[in-house]
Amino acid sequence: MPSKKKITIEPLARVEGHGGIKVEITDNKISNVEVRILEGPRLFEELVVGKTPQEDLNIVPRICAICNLSHKYAALRGLEKAVGVSVDSTTKLFRELMHHGEMIESHSLHIYFLALPDFLGYDNAVAMADKYGDTVTKALQLKKFGNKIMRMMGGRMIHGENPIIGGFGKLPTKEALTEIKGEALELLEFAIATINLLGGLEIPDHMERETQFLCCKPPGEEYGYYGDILITSDGEEHPVENYKNVIKERVVSHSFAKRGQYNGKPFTVGALARVLLNGKRLKGKAKEAYDQLVTDRWYRNPLFNNHAQAIEQVYSLEGIIETVNQLLASEDAEIAQPTQESGIGTGVVEAPRGTLIHHYEVKDGKITAADFITPTAMFLDDIEAFIRTGGEQLLAKNQLDNIELQFEMIARAYDPCISCSAHIVEVVFK
Amino acid sequence: MTATDKPKIGIYGFTGCAGDQLLIIHTEDEILNLFGAANIQSFVMASSNPIEENLDVAFIEGSISTKEEIEHLHELRKRAKILVAMGNCAVNGGPQAMYTGDGGYEKRLKKVYGEGVKFMTDPLEAKPIDAYVDVDYYLPGCPISQPQTFALISRLIHGAIPEPYPHPVCHECKLNENRCLLLDETFCIGPLTLGGCGSACPNHDVSCVGCWGPNEDGNFGQHIKLLESFGIPKEEIMRRIRGFGGSKIIKFIEDGGK
Ligand code: SF4
Ligand code: SF4
Repeated sequence: MPSKKKITIEPLARVEGHGGIKVEITDNKISNVEVRILEGPRLFEELVVGKTPQEDLNIVPRICAICNLSHKYAALRGLEKAVGVSVDSTTKLFRELMHHGEMIESHSLHIYFLALPDFLGYDNAVAMADKYGDTVTKALQLKKFGNKIMRMMGGRMIHGENPIIGGFGKLPTKEALTEIKGEALELLEFAIATINLLGGLEIPDHMERETQFLCCKPPGEEYGYYGDILITSDGEEHPVENYKNVIKERVVSHSFAKRGQYNGKPFTVGALARVLLNGKRLKGKAKEAYDQLVTDRWYRNPLFNNHAQAIEQVYSLEGIIETVNQLLASEDAEIAQPTQESGIGTGVVEAPRGTLIHHYEVKDGKITAADFITPTAMFLDDIEAFIRTGGEQLLAKNQLDNIELQFEMIARAYDPCISCSAHIVEVVFK
Repeated sequence: MTATDKPKIGIYGFTGCAGDQLLIIHTEDEILNLFGAANIQSFVMASSNPIEENLDVAFIEGSISTKEEIEHLHELRKRAKILVAMGNCAVNGGPQAMYTGDGGYEKRLKKVYGEGVKFMTDPLEAKPIDAYVDVDYYLPGCPISQPQTFALISRLIHGAIPEPYPHPVCHECKLNENRCLLLDETFCIGPLTLGGCGSACPNHDVSCVGCWGPNEDGNFGQHIKLLESFGIPKEEIMRRIRGFGGSKIIKFIEDGGK
C-alpha cells in the first residue's frame, strides 16, 4: 500500500486575501500541489457590463485594495483607447507619479511586513521591532510615504476617485510636489540600505528551476511600469491587443480559473520579471543596486522577487524625484474628453505584483464586455511548479523540518493577492 | 496590563478586496499601539500562527459569498462577545452585491466560469454578514476610515459605548466649504450616503458614488428627481445608487424612488 501524506497550510498567512496551499505526498514523492483560493467569486467582469466608463472606474479598483490604483490605471488605459481619449503629457506625468506611490506602498508592505519576518524568524513585523526597531520604523515611514502619494493623487489612501477619464479631479500644488520630492530624497538612503540588508540574506535554493518571464515593454529607452507591448524571456514582443494569444487560459481538473500559461508553460510576472527583462534600462542608484544584487540564480529562484522589489523601491524614489522635477516645469494639465462613443481598448500596466490587463468593449457609451487578467492569475501555476520542485528536493534530502514554512515562503515571495480572484476560484469537475 | 487581561481581538477577512484590513495595517502611527494595547489573537493578513479562542471583539471584513464562509461566520459569532461588521462588503454586501436578489446570479456565475463545474465550496450570491448573524456594530465605508475605525476600536477595548454617526457625506462636504457639485448639475449622491470619509471625493471635485452605503434619513425620492432634472437618465441614477448599497438599499429606493 502506498504511503500517503498530506500537508495543508491554511490559512496562508501574511498574504492579501484568503488562501491556502495543499501538497500531497505519495511514496515520498510529491503527487499534487494546489494553491487554493478560498475567496468567493465576485464576478466583476459581469458587474461592469451595461455601465459607463466612469462607473467602471468607481467599481474595478475594488478588485484589490493594495494595488487599487493599478486597477484604476489599467482601466483608464483600456477605456481611454476605447472612447478615443488622449491625455496630455502633464497628465501622463501625474499618472506616473501616482503609480510610483503605489509601488512604494505595495513593495514596502511586502518586503518589510509580509516577507522579511520569515527570513528573520518572526511571526510578524511588530514582533521584529524589538531587535530591528530602526528598520521597522523606517519601513513604516517609507510605506507612509507611498500612501501619502496615493492619497494625494488618488484622493484617498485606498479607493480614491480622483483619477478620472482624461485626467484628475484635482491636482496637487507645486508646494505639495516639492515636499514629496524632499521626502523621496531623504528616504532614498533607507531604500539603498535595504539593498544591503537583502544582499546579506541566505536564500534557500531547493526550489530552483527554469521558468519564463513576462512584463510590459515601457515606451522609449527607460525603465517603467506600463507599455503597449508585452515582452517575454524568449525574446518575443507581442502587441497587448494580442494578449489572449500570448497568455493562454488553462483548465485543469482541480482548478477552473483563468490561469495563464505562455507557450504551454507557467511563467513569472512582477518585479523579478521586470528587473530581469528591463533591468539594463535602469539608471542611477537603481542601476548600482541592480549591479550589486542580480545574479544568474535570479532566473531560477522566485525568492529574489523580494530583492527585485527592493531595487524597484530605489527606482521609484528616484523616479519620483525626476517626475516632480518635470512636473514643476510643465504646463497645467487639461481634462481630455472622449471623441467617440464606441470602441475596443486593451489597457495594460505593471501592477506591483506584475502585468495587469483590462480589456473593454464599449458601445454607445456603455460597456458591453470586459476581461481582466490579474498578475495572481498569471503566476499561480508558477508558484505550484516551484513548490513541487522544492518539495521534491527537500524530500530527497530528508529535510522535512519546517517544510510548510519553505512552501509558504515561495508563495509569499510572489506577493500573491488572492482578492484578485476577480475570477480565480479553485473548483473540481464533477 | 499583562497580555492575558488585555482585550482579545480577532480581525477576519471574508470575500472582498482586503481594503479594510489593509487600512488598519496602513495606520503607521497607530498600528504599533494597537498591537500593544490589545491582544491581537488573529489577524492573518499581518501575522502568522493565529490563536483561535474566545474573543472580546471580532472585526469582520467582506461579504459572505460561499457556503464555507457561512459556517466560519457562525463559528466566530459563537466565540466573540462583540461582533463588528467592518467595511461596506460586510455591512451592505459591497459592490459584488449590487445585483443581489435580481435572480441573475446563476447566469453571471456561468458566464464567468462556464458550465458544468463544481466548486470546492459552493459559491453564493454576496450578502452582508447580518444576513446570517447578529451584528453589534457597523463600521461602514469602502474602505473604512481611520478616524472612525480607531474611535470605535479604542472605545471597544476600553469598555466604553460607541456613539452612532448619523450624518451624511453632504454634511461633511458643507463643513469643508466645497462648492456643491449639484449647483453645476453634476451627479452626486452625497446627500443619500452615510458620512465618515470627510467628503473625500467632492473635496477633489468628483462625485460621491455612495461607498459608505445608504444614509437612513436621506430623501431618496426628491434627490432622484433632482438628478433626473439634470438630464441624467433614471436608469443610470438607480444603477449608480445601487453600486454600493447592496440589497439593503432597495427598501430606500422603493420608498422614495417613485
Ligand atoms: S468594503 Fe470595500 S475596501 Fe472593504 S473589502 Fe469590500 S471592497 Fe474592499
Ligand atoms: S465621498 Fe462618497 S464615494 Fe467618496 S469616499 Fe465618501 S462616501 Fe465614498
